[in-house]
Amino acid sequence: MQSEYMYQLLTQMKDGNQQAFHELYDATFQDVYRTVSFLVDHQQDREDVMNEIYMQMWTSLANYDTNRPFHFWLHGLVIRQVQRFRVKSWRRFRIFERVRAFSREESHWDQPGVLMDGTNQMISQAIKKLTDKQRMVIILRFYHDYTLEEIATLLDIPLGTVKSRYHAGLQALRKKIWNLPPERMEEINDY
Amino acid sequence: MTIEHKVREHLHEKAEKLECPPAISKRIEQSYSHYLQQKRSEKTMKKRLIGGIVAAAFLIPTAAFAAPAVIEMLTRTSLTAEQVKVDEIGNAALEKLYRAFPETKSFEIIDASNVQGVQTSITLQEKGGTGKKITLHTNGMTGAIEHVTQENWESKDKPLTALTNQEIKAKVDHLIEKMYGNSNAYEVAIEQMENPDQKTFMLNYTKKGSTAPFYQVFVQGNSISASLIGGETTPSNAKIEGFFTTNGKPDYFGDAFLNDEKLFSLLNMSGTELKQELAKGKSVVEVAASKNVSKQQVIDVIAKTQVDIQMQGEKNGEVPKSNASNAQMVKAIEPKVLQVIEYKAETR
Repeated sequence: MQSEYMYQLLTQMKDGNQQAFHELYDATFQDVYRTVSFLVDHQQDREDVMNEIYMQMWTSLANYDTNRPFHFWLHGLVIRQVQRFRVKSWRRFRIFERVRAFSREESHWDQPGVLMDGTNQMISQAIKKLTDKQRMVIILRFYHDYTLEEIATLLDIPLGTVKSRYHAGLQALRKKIWNLPPERMEEINDY
Repeated sequence: MTIEHKVREHLHEKAEKLECPPAISKRIEQSYSHYLQQKRSEKTMKKRLIGGIVAAAFLIPTAAFAAPAVIEMLTRTSLTAEQVKVDEIGNAALEKLYRAFPETKSFEIIDASNVQGVQTSITLQEKGGTGKKITLHTNGMTGAIEHVTQENWESKDKPLTALTNQEIKAKVDHLIEKMYGNSNAYEVAIEQMENPDQKTFMLNYTKKGSTAPFYQVFVQGNSISASLIGGETTPSNAKIEGFFTTNGKPDYFGDAFLNDEKLFSLLNMSGTELKQELAKGKSVVEVAASKNVSKQQVIDVIAKTQVDIQMQGEKNGEVPKSNASNAQMVKAIEPKVLQVIEYKAETR
């Protein structure tokens, strides 16, 4: 994704160029969908969030910072929409939230019929069990390969907070996957 | 294998398997076309709103000061300096400015914004020095610079308004000449506005023979603010009103016949000149005679134009169709033409 070209596409799209829209959509939708899928569990919710993200594209083009790469802006949009969605759904369901948390055992993350071996299944489950905040950091770090500093900018939170979420998230994952005692964790940290 | 590697590998593997359902694509496409529709209807609304603003600006001259602020109310989005350079219109405006005032190349772009398809505004300021500032408002459709504001170009202790009219005019002439080209072709009227708070001058640049000003310039404090009102060059067939004067009042009865481009070229004089001659009490025939043009030639030219107008009107359905031939129509109109061109204004 060349940032300058993408910016041109965005401007054209905002002015009503259908072709630019299709080109932009084709170039981004896989990436956006996958990110959203990692962060949002329900299929229907993903659809809503996706729709919101693309609507934001043509309304918040003004905030585009040409000094930064395109995908940085794009992921910023994704994150904001996912967070907004969470706040919204939290408000709507706050009474049911606890009930739902218990009944959410079955996996919405995976499409039924996709075969996975035991470890993968376990990692999926483990990531899903993380808190939303930890999960966001873990996905950005490992799926999009952002540095912790970049994540701090994207999420608009201090670097220290990112680090603490990151380590807490990793710790939780280790615990779930390997059932390791916490005192051995420092030794295998290769970052 | 460490947990970090494992998680990364897992996520990438998983991502490969995730396919975006087509339902989502369809839905987003719908949202986009919905947005387009909305945007289109918005645009016409904007145009109407701007039309209203322009009308208001003509009604009250002081509103010209307020107009840029009113346009601000439309969805104005700010741009960064980089975006201005990418923007086609912004860039063209900058280049024009740099050509006019090479020293502005070192200026910093301190503010820029645009209203999509309507206007792009850029403000530049000198680093250090007296803080010279120049603002350009560019038409989003045509790319013409519609409005230039020059601030702090004079030294602080000697504001522009303290200068004599002559000096102010020279400064404004300089600005217009740099930005738009020669200003000699215009007549200038300087007027002091009734503004108790601040001394304000209004300069109207009017093309000779035209009634509406072409440029309107306000001088206030330490700023010159010039607006392009005429838009395109004043049309050459500018109409002269009241060729004849009766009892000191303009008399319009001959205008329809005498506002004729071909007549002016036949007589080798402009409409204004003809009017001046007529004011001396001469008839059109006499003026023509002094230019070695016969009475019949004058009649032929005027009659032909009038018949052409009538034919055009018939074609457009404005006038009921007549089956008269060209020659017949010319014959019918001749006596009326005679009456006009032999008419002499009363001179007292």
